[in-house]
Amino acid sequence: MWAFILRRLLGGIPIILGVTLITFLLLNVVGGDPALQMAGKNATEEDLAALRAEYGLDKPLVSQYVDYLKQTVTFDFGKSYKTKEPVVDILKQRVGPSISLTLPALIATTLLAIAIGLIAAAFRQRALDRGLMALAVTGMSISFLVYIVVGQYLLAFQLRAFQIHGYASGWGERWQYLSLPIIVLIVVGLGYDTRFYRSVLVEEIGRDHVTTAVAKGAGPTRVLTRHVLRNALIPIVTRVMISLPFLVTGSLLLESFFGIPGLGAQLLEAIESADFPVIRALTLLISVLFVLTTILNDVLYAVVDPRVRLE
Amino acid sequence: MRSWSLLVWVALALLCVNGCKSPPKWEQGKRYFHFSARAKVGTFDPVRNSSTYDNLAQAQVYETLFEYEYLVRPFELKPLLLAKMPEVSEDSLHYKFELKHGVLFQDDPCFPEDKGKRPAGVGREVVAQDVIWSLMRMADRANSPTGWWLYRDRIKGFDAFKERMDKRASNAPFEWNTKIEGLKVSGRYSFEIQLTRPYPQLLNVLAMGTTAVVPRECAEHYGDQFAAHPVGTGAFKLDEWVRGSFLKFSKNPKYREEFYPTKASPELEQRGLLAAAGKRIPFLDGVVIHVFEQDQPMWLKFRVGDLDATQTPAEYTELVFNTDKSMRATFVQEGVGYYHLPLLDFIYRGFNMEDPVFGGMQPGATKAQTERARKVRQAISLALDTRELNHAFYNDNNVLYDGPIPPGLAGHKREGSPYRGPNLERAKQLLIEAGYPEGKGLPVLTLDTNRGGNSDEQGEMVTRQLAKIGVKMEVRQSSFPELQDKMRRKKSQFFGLAWGADYPDAENFLQLFYGPNKTPGSNKFNYDNPKYNELFEKARVLPPSPERDALYAELRDIIIEDCVAIGSMARTRDYVWNKRVHNFNPSEVWDNWFKYLDVDPL
Repeated sequence: MWAFILRRLLGGIPIILGVTLITFLLLNVVGGDPALQMAGKNATEEDLAALRAEYGLDKPLVSQYVDYLKQTVTFDFGKSYKTKEPVVDILKQRVGPSISLTLPALIATTLLAIAIGLIAAAFRQRALDRGLMALAVTGMSISFLVYIVVGQYLLAFQLRAFQIHGYASGWGERWQYLSLPIIVLIVVGLGYDTRFYRSVLVEEIGRDHVTTAVAKGAGPTRVLTRHVLRNALIPIVTRVMISLPFLVTGSLLLESFFGIPGLGAQLLEAIESADFPVIRALTLLISVLFVLTTILNDVLYAVVDPRVRLE
Repeated sequence: MRSWSLLVWVALALLCVNGCKSPPKWEQGKRYFHFSARAKVGTFDPVRNSSTYDNLAQAQVYETLFEYEYLVRPFELKPLLLAKMPEVSEDSLHYKFELKHGVLFQDDPCFPEDKGKRPAGVGREVVAQDVIWSLMRMADRANSPTGWWLYRDRIKGFDAFKERMDKRASNAPFEWNTKIEGLKVSGRYSFEIQLTRPYPQLLNVLAMGTTAVVPRECAEHYGDQFAAHPVGTGAFKLDEWVRGSFLKFSKNPKYREEFYPTKASPELEQRGLLAAAGKRIPFLDGVVIHVFEQDQPMWLKFRVGDLDATQTPAEYTELVFNTDKSMRATFVQEGVGYYHLPLLDFIYRGFNMEDPVFGGMQPGATKAQTERARKVRQAISLALDTRELNHAFYNDNNVLYDGPIPPGLAGHKREGSPYRGPNLERAKQLLIEAGYPEGKGLPVLTLDTNRGGNSDEQGEMVTRQLAKIGVKMEVRQSSFPELQDKMRRKKSQFFGLAWGADYPDAENFLQLFYGPNKTPGSNKFNYDNPKYNELFEKARVLPPSPERDALYAELRDIIIEDCVAIGSMARTRDYVWNKRVHNFNPSEVWDNWFKYLDVDPL
């Protein structure tokens, strides 16, 4: 297994290099001149030249790219052009709020969706199944923004059940601010996930080994949990793994509407202010997470399905 | 049904974790003022501040040499860290300043022990050397200063010093001990500034947040983290800053004895703003600035009382105000206060004057080409209907005016320009005179705008308006960095931008058209008119006077005649505040007025 992981890690290097190259070219060739942002209102060419020299922006592109690769290898992404703070510190500050929003939502959405999917699968083609799927489709059809705006207005403003907007550094208080955006995230994800898991589970229910288990007299609970759910774990794991990188990057819309200082909002802010070091670090972080979750996904396949061998 | 509803309420109560609406413990019984910021605060380092909200946050902690009278309009400077107004030499080149005695920096671990006098961590007294050091920080490129242009070519020896520092090796230290001819410490509390030419705006500049006084040892102690560790002399100190979410300040216990103003302009006195006259400030225990990216949560938070004061977002204007701008009865009954604050804004659409067709000031342009392009611009100005734009996109809230000087400043012209549209007949006539009847032969004009907001829709409207005289236009949207880059490379033909006042003097707007300020400087129009330049050089060294006002008016009229920038507008900010707030008189020209506010305790 370790040889497999090592091989996959080595295989991920060209992908990450490709991402760094594309990001670098996009930013440095068409992304504008960050010196203009830094220099303020009434800069001269001399002021701009001094700033470019200060940040190494006057070096040839190849040399700048090499510097960027060095930063990538050492995980030292330099300092933000905007705030002059080390980029690593910025990421550390922002990753916590993002995860505290997305992780509980992912766990709750997955568990709820699987549970509802199991019920729907168990009652497939019957009124309950149709009702649940109609609800899921309706939920999917409503825009994310509508959930946010209406949720904020009805639940936080009219009913005063939640905080409207904000964040707190202490966990006790933070929960008050995170409750509503987490609920919104769960509701938004539930429709898609329920439909997906239901179709996976229905397919599994139709397999011979399930028919055999029923024929042998296994009860419905045992059939659904031991024979259906267990054998449907591969698509479930895949779906969860795909979501993992987004736990870190957060949700741009939710962070923006609820004032959660996560990485999604940070990425947008960095793009608006041509803060290249922050954009590069975040893009790299996302690509590394994708590579790692893909590997983890494969490893988990072998864990949940003994027939899969990591070769 | 009942059990379902009960279940929902139990779930909500659990998520709410015992009472979402009770104020947090740190606020109970205290006077904390909650205010909104409409964008993120980026830095607490004064030399690097680059936005209104950087200023707003910094001004609670740091202080400048001057501030403005809180209750006097038009704006009137008064000493803040200074003991009195400076002595100025007859030739207006030499200023002598005297600091207040006994002004202390806030306590902070960055202060080392001063043996026998002061233990470590205790803020020391502000002295003249601090002012000079703070100004010198502007010349250190390592600080990425945004306000160097305010000093460039003005203080004796300062430019040469900066040039030498810019060229130093990357590992060479900044030369703090260099004596700069124009910046001289003459005593513990006194210092002098020697100018290269009269600079009547100097005192306004010394009221800008970017010139705030900082302790050098703290800037060095915190290094790159100084931007997050402000140590000032202001009425408040920063307790907590969660980036992109909120900033919490508490009262600075070492703030010196300062008092609420006793003089006010009649209209402000009539609003009852002198009720606290002569009382010691600050009244508040603290301030919380909440950062919002979206309007809905900002407005809802104000309505539930979690915000004490805010701007009214444009989409809520009709809900709050009648058509005559008075407040609707429901809000009046709740005791909500309001004030329509006119901003010193110049929102415009401008031409790149080096564009051969629409500018006609490109190198080597003939007089005929220049004249022809001017007629085209005049025609475009006459086709533009800013009233329609104001109505559709700003709820008629913006002030329309002519030329580049916003209302409230000497030289402002509300109306009367011969090129204020819409006047389609005259516009068509001018196009005929320029040799483009009904726009025939005129290339498609490209309007560059910053992506976001309703700039796309505004572009559509302008396109439609210009089409009425046969001028074809396309809109090109870019991110702000891309737009800036286009400007620098002079690749933009026609662009929509805005300029907010750095200080309340028309010179700050007229310099946008001064030839030597051409891009990458603030003259994005690349306008270079020798007559204008000569008049501007005369005006900028004059103190406020009828002579200067006349020159400002002449400069304004040149810009109106040449139609360099058209469709001038200034925003009006509709501030509202809840019943518990007292003494609220907002300003966006300066920001350290929170020290005058009061709220009823929670």
